[in-house]
Amino acid sequence: MSAIVEGFREGLKQGELRIQTCNACGTHILYPRHRCISCGSDDLGWTVASGRGVLHTFTVVRAVPPEGFEDELPYGLGVVKLEEGVQLMARLWPATDGSGWDGYACNAPVVFSPSDAASVDKRPVAWFAPAAV
Amino acid sequence: MAGDFVPKMTTDKRSPNDPVFIGVGELPSGRYPNRTFIGDLTEVAHLAIQDSGLSRSDIDTILLIPCLHSFADQADLIFSRMVEELGLSKSAKSSFMAHSGGSTSDNAVRIASGLIAGGHARNVLVLQAERWGSADLSKMVTMLTLNGIPQEWEQPSGITFNAIGALITRAYMEASGSTPAEMASVCVALRQWSRLNPNAMYRDRDLTIDEILASKMICDPLRAKECPMLADGAAAFVMTSAENARRNHDSWVRVNASGGCVSHYSLGQETDAATLGWKIAADRAYTHADWGPQDADFAQIYDSYAAITTIGAEGLGLVPPGEAARFFHAGHASPGGKLPMNTNGGLLSAGHTGVGGGLALLVEGIRQLLHRAETPRQIEGARRGIIGGSGGSYMDAQVLLLERIEKGELQ
Repeated sequence: MSAIVEGFREGLKQGELRIQTCNACGTHILYPRHRCISCGSDDLGWTVASGRGVLHTFTVVRAVPPEGFEDELPYGLGVVKLEEGVQLMARLWPATDGSGWDGYACNAPVVFSPSDAASVDKRPVAWFAPAAV
Repeated sequence: MAGDFVPKMTTDKRSPNDPVFIGVGELPSGRYPNRTFIGDLTEVAHLAIQDSGLSRSDIDTILLIPCLHSFADQADLIFSRMVEELGLSKSAKSSFMAHSGGSTSDNAVRIASGLIAGGHARNVLVLQAERWGSADLSKMVTMLTLNGIPQEWEQPSGITFNAIGALITRAYMEASGSTPAEMASVCVALRQWSRLNPNAMYRDRDLTIDEILASKMICDPLRAKECPMLADGAAAFVMTSAENARRNHDSWVRVNASGGCVSHYSLGQETDAATLGWKIAADRAYTHADWGPQDADFAQIYDSYAAITTIGAEGLGLVPPGEAARFFHAGHASPGGKLPMNTNGGLLSAGHTGVGGGLALLVEGIRQLLHRAETPRQIEGARRGIIGGSGGSYMDAQVLLLERIEKGELQ
């Protein structure tokens, strides 16, 4: 694992969604890079995101998963655009009432909804849920 | 930059060094456990060279398009095995590989064109073979997940290539208001074409919208019969200079202009999955071209999922924004339609031959313009065709505007 993703993963374990941020020009960057994609600086740090965003598009993987994901089927995946202007691939929580992922829609608001630290150790990925309207 | 003079990025069709296509070769796609990788490459090379009217010894440069089924087989190609297999030791000047996934064939055309126009090569053989149809499916799915999807960033999410196709399909359906039946109709049109293509994987089996909508949901909203089947296959083409072409041929095919756009590496970074890089790439091509989308007799647009083609057709200006799936549903892209698309059956019905899926579409476009497709698949009098390619997680959109040249018209 390269060091630049450690800050993001550490944040997930603490229930935070962190965005790499350039200390020189303030540009938000996700996924984390080795140098700022705007000004080129290597002085990069982290800020904590609000967790609010919009779901750009999503799917539910029901078959033919990658090796190791067989027991997790079905699972929701989506591209989330954060209000800070960056975006990421995320996992989507199913509804607790059995309606699965019916509560999600393109361009609808979603909110970061962290998994527990043990889950982050196994799968360092950000989880989102529909935002209360 | 508006109003600035933009120098044309094209070559002159009257130049002796104008790079042109003179021949193609292809083997049937599907599951052929008794065929071999090097055997297929050798066979398809002979077919393409024969079709070009050249001799094997005329080939001075071999440009290899990679396989994905085996790194060992790929290494054999990188280290010039095909030079020996084709009996070209010492006579070959250069043998090398280029790779940008599904858009490799488009980039190979650019490389071969540059070599010919710049005087670095006379006759370039571009070839590819894939053994996906005979490979272990689960191993290939895992290989595709571990390669080309950001390892430390997106792999922990459990994303797959079908999921990438589904995310793009959902975004396109949302933006265009296309229905599941309209999306399925793209697959049906491709099947109508593959039924006319003796090299297609699904040349013998019809497909209906009802059948697609009744098939298993794989990644919402994509169903099983909307996902490509991995296939064995092989394809090749030969490029030379116009000066060489006119010695043995009355007609050939050239690149009027090309354009490209690399929009992302990981799909999670694509800001608009419903449009991708197609419009930018198309605008870049048309800026340098002598003709536009209204002049095309056909289009061959990368189609590992239906939405890739509908997004491409709209970005290329062939169909109004949001209308491509309905265009297919109305039969306009089918055999006999007003704008034939993916006339070999595309990856979805001719077979997904890895990096070769885009090559097969390109080879079909060249074949149509050389007027060498089988009847009734041949588009009568085809003069201009648009090729659209894409690689990786639809990271790029590559556009080639191809045109047929007849010797007499250059006076």
